[in-house]
Amino acid sequence: MLDWLKNINKEYPEFWKEYLSKFETKSKRFVVLSTETSGMSPVKDVILSLGSFAIVDNSVVIGDNFEAVLLQYKFLHDNGLSNEFIVESKMKKLVEPDAIKSLIGYIGNAVLVGHHIHFDVEMINAALDRLDCGRLKNEALDVDVMHRKLLDINDKQFSLDELCDIYKIPKSDRNSASEDAYKTALLFLKLKSRLGI
Amino acid sequence: MNTIAAHIADFLKDYQPFDNLTFEELSEIATSIRVVNLEKHKTLFQINDVLHDSFYVVASGVINLSVIADAEETLLNKCHKGDIFGLRPFFAKNNYMMTAKAREESIVYAIPIATFRPFVANNTLVLNFLLESFATNTPNHHDKENLRGKLISDNVFYSDQQSEIQYFQSLTYNTSPLTVLTTAVIKDIAKLMTEEISSSVIICENNFPIGIVTDRDMCTKIATGRFQITDSIATIMASPVITVVENVSLAEAQLLMLKYNVTHLCVTLDGTAKSVVKGIISEHDLIIAQASNPGVLIKEIKRSQTPKDLKQIRERLTDLIQNSIHKNIPISHITNIASEINLAIIKRSVELSILDLGSPPARFAWLSIGSQGRKEQLLMTDQDSILVFEDVTPDKYREVKDYFLRLGRRTTATLEKVGFDLCPNGHMGSNMLWCKSLTDWTKQYNSWMNTPGENSNDLSSLFFDFEIAFGEPKIEEALENIIFKNAKNNTLFFDFLGNDALKKNAPLSFFKKFIIEEDGENKDKFDIKTRALMPLIDGARLFTLHYNIKGVNNTYMRFKQLAMIDPKNAEIYLNCADAFQTLSKFRTIEGLKNDDCGQFINLNEMSKIDKEKLKNNFAPMRELEELIKGKFKLTQFS
Repeated sequence: MLDWLKNINKEYPEFWKEYLSKFETKSKRFVVLSTETSGMSPVKDVILSLGSFAIVDNSVVIGDNFEAVLLQYKFLHDNGLSNEFIVESKMKKLVEPDAIKSLIGYIGNAVLVGHHIHFDVEMINAALDRLDCGRLKNEALDVDVMHRKLLDINDKQFSLDELCDIYKIPKSDRNSASEDAYKTALLFLKLKSRLGI
Repeated sequence: MNTIAAHIADFLKDYQPFDNLTFEELSEIATSIRVVNLEKHKTLFQINDVLHDSFYVVASGVINLSVIADAEETLLNKCHKGDIFGLRPFFAKNNYMMTAKAREESIVYAIPIATFRPFVANNTLVLNFLLESFATNTPNHHDKENLRGKLISDNVFYSDQQSEIQYFQSLTYNTSPLTVLTTAVIKDIAKLMTEEISSSVIICENNFPIGIVTDRDMCTKIATGRFQITDSIATIMASPVITVVENVSLAEAQLLMLKYNVTHLCVTLDGTAKSVVKGIISEHDLIIAQASNPGVLIKEIKRSQTPKDLKQIRERLTDLIQNSIHKNIPISHITNIASEINLAIIKRSVELSILDLGSPPARFAWLSIGSQGRKEQLLMTDQDSILVFEDVTPDKYREVKDYFLRLGRRTTATLEKVGFDLCPNGHMGSNMLWCKSLTDWTKQYNSWMNTPGENSNDLSSLFFDFEIAFGEPKIEEALENIIFKNAKNNTLFFDFLGNDALKKNAPLSFFKKFIIEEDGENKDKFDIKTRALMPLIDGARLFTLHYNIKGVNNTYMRFKQLAMIDPKNAEIYLNCADAFQTLSKFRTIEGLKNDDCGQFINLNEMSKIDKEKLKNNFAPMRELEELIKGKFKLTQFS
C-alpha cells in the first residue's frame, strides 16, 4: 500500500532514469509490441520472446525494429520445460535484464500499440520490477479496443486472428512475436485511418 | 536479424527486378523499407507533387495510375501485387507526371531510392528492367495485357509530345568541347572556361581524353583552398573520364551518369578513352532533350529515311494536337507548331525524292498551297502543292520538266503514305498542269487575274495562298510579286474574288437554324468548312490582296494585320479573327474525334451550349460580307 513511499528515495538504474527523462517531450512515434509468454499470469510467467516495430508517419518502418528471444534458463529449468526452441531460433538471444533494458531504450517515449497490450505491459512491468524499476509510463493503444470502438461493440473480444480476417491481413504460417507485431502494425494502420486519428 | 525484413525479402524475390538480386541484398533493401497502408481511394502521390524519396512495390491490393486532363481521369495502368511504380525519382528531377491512387485498400512497400540506387548501378539486369519499365509508354492501351505483371509504365507524357522514342533518340551535345593539355595551369583554364562559357574542360594526352574538370571541381577543389590556382590542371582533374560512343541515346547517357555519378560524359570516336574526343554531353543536354519541344519532332523528321518514319511522326503530331486542344492551349499556337511540323514533313519528302532521283537539273521551289500554304492545317487533309522551276533553254525543257514531274509524283506518293490524301482536284506538283517553269506560271497568274472567269474552271482561290516547302525562296518571291503587281487596281479580279467569297452558302437559315446537308453520306450534318470557314478564309485573302499585304498567309494573322491597316473596321476584322480560331477548333475537335478532316459536324452530338457558341461565331461573317460588298461595290447578284 505504501510501496510508493518506500520507492520515493530509491535510486533507479541508469537506463530507467534515461527512459523517464524522455517523457519530457511528446512522441509522434508509435511502437507496436507483441510478447510471447509462458502463460497468462504476470506473476508466475515470464516473457519468452519480444517483437516490435516502429510506426512513423503512417508507415511501418521495417528497419526500426526490436526483437529478441529471452533466455529464461532458470524458469524453464524450474518448470521442467525444454529450451529447444531457444537453441533453434536464429533471433538475437538475450538474458531477461539485457532484453528489457534494450527494449526500454528502444521504445522510449513512443505510444505503445498492441493486441491486448495491457497484458504485454503487465508482463514487462513485472520484469521491470525484478530490475528495481518503476512501471512503464507510455500511453498504450489496443487494436481490439480500437476495432470495437469503430463498430461500437462492447460485449465481445476479438482475437488477433479474427481481426486479421476482418481486415483481410494475410496470415502467415510462421508464428512469432515479430510476426504478431507486424500484423498488429498493419491492423493499427488500417484502424487508425478508419478512426481518423 | 529482422524476421519481417526476411519475409519481405522473400516476397520481393518472386518479382522483377528483385529476382536478379541475392537474398542478402534483398534483406538489406527490405530492412530500409517502409510499409504504407492505403485506404480505398487514398492518393499516394499526384501529378505535380514533389518527388518522393522512394519508389513503390504493391504488397497487396491494387493501385491505379492515372493522369487527369480537363477534370477527366484517364486510367493508365493498374498495379497489382508485386508491380513496381513511382520510378520517376530514379530518372528525372521534375515532379510526378501521374497520380497513384489506391483502387482498394492496399499495402505498398516504399523502397528508398538512396538504398536501391547502388543495386541499380551494380546490376545491369535491374538497370535494364527499370529503364524499360520507365520508358514503356502505354497511353494507348493496346499492349497493356502483354505488360501485365511485367512492366508498369511510369513515364507518361500525356500532355507533351514526348514519347518512348525520345528516350532512344540521340542527343544533341557540344561537339567542340574545350580540350587542354595536362600541363596547363588551373588559372588559365578557369579563364578559358569563363570566356567560352563552358562548364567543363577535357584534359587530353595525345588527343586521348585522360581526365575532366568541371565547374564543380573548381568549386570544391580550388575555391576551398585545397589546391592553388597556379597548380597544373592535372592535379584536380577527375580521371578517368567516362566515355561514350557518338550516337549515344538519351536513356543510355542518363543511366551512365547515374551509374558513375558524374555530370558530364565525354564522347569519343569509338567510345573508349583510347580514341579522339568528339564532344561532351552535360546534364544540361539531357534536360534540353527531355523538354517538351516540338523541335524533337522536327529533328526526327530531318533524320527520317522512309515514309513510314514520317507517318509515325505525323501520328505523334496528331496526339500532340489533340492533347494541346485538351489543355486549352490557344489554337494559334497549336497551328503554328503543327504547320511547322507539317512543313518539315513535306520538305523531308521532297528531299527523300531527290535522294532517289539525283540532284535536280534546275533550281525549283515546291510550294504548299491551300490550307498548308496558309499554315492552318491541323488535321490530315488533302495535300495541295505546286512546283515551279526556273526557266531553262527550250532544248532542255522537256527533260527538265520530265524530272520535276517524276519528283512531284514521288513526293506526293510519299506524302500519301504519310497520310495526306491526294488532292481530288489534282492540285499537286505531280500534275503536269501545276508543275511548270516560272515563265509559264507567270503567264498562268496573269491570265487568271486579268481575265478571270474566262477559264475559271481552272482558277481556284487556293493558288493564292502559298508557302515554300522546299527549294529556292526567290521563286516564291517572284510569284508573290506577280500576284501583287496584277492585283493593283484590278477591279475585275477583285470583283471575281469578291463574288467567289460571297457565293459561299450561308451557315444559318432565315430562322437562325443551322443549314444542314440534305442528302449524301453526310446527310443532316453541318458543313463547317464550306459554310463557316471558307467565307472567312476567302474574305481575309481578298482584303490582304487588296491592301497589298505580303508575306502573311495565315487567315488569323491576316485579320490581325488588316485590323492594323484598316483601323476603321478593326473591330470586324478582330471578331473575324476570333471567330476563325473558334471555328477551327470546332473543326479540329470533330476531325480528331472521327479521324477525318472534320469538314462535317454532327450537330446531334453537340451540346446546346456548343451549338450556341458555334452560332455566335457566324455573326462576324455577316459583317465581313457587308464589308466586302461595300468595299468592292458588289451586290449579291452582280
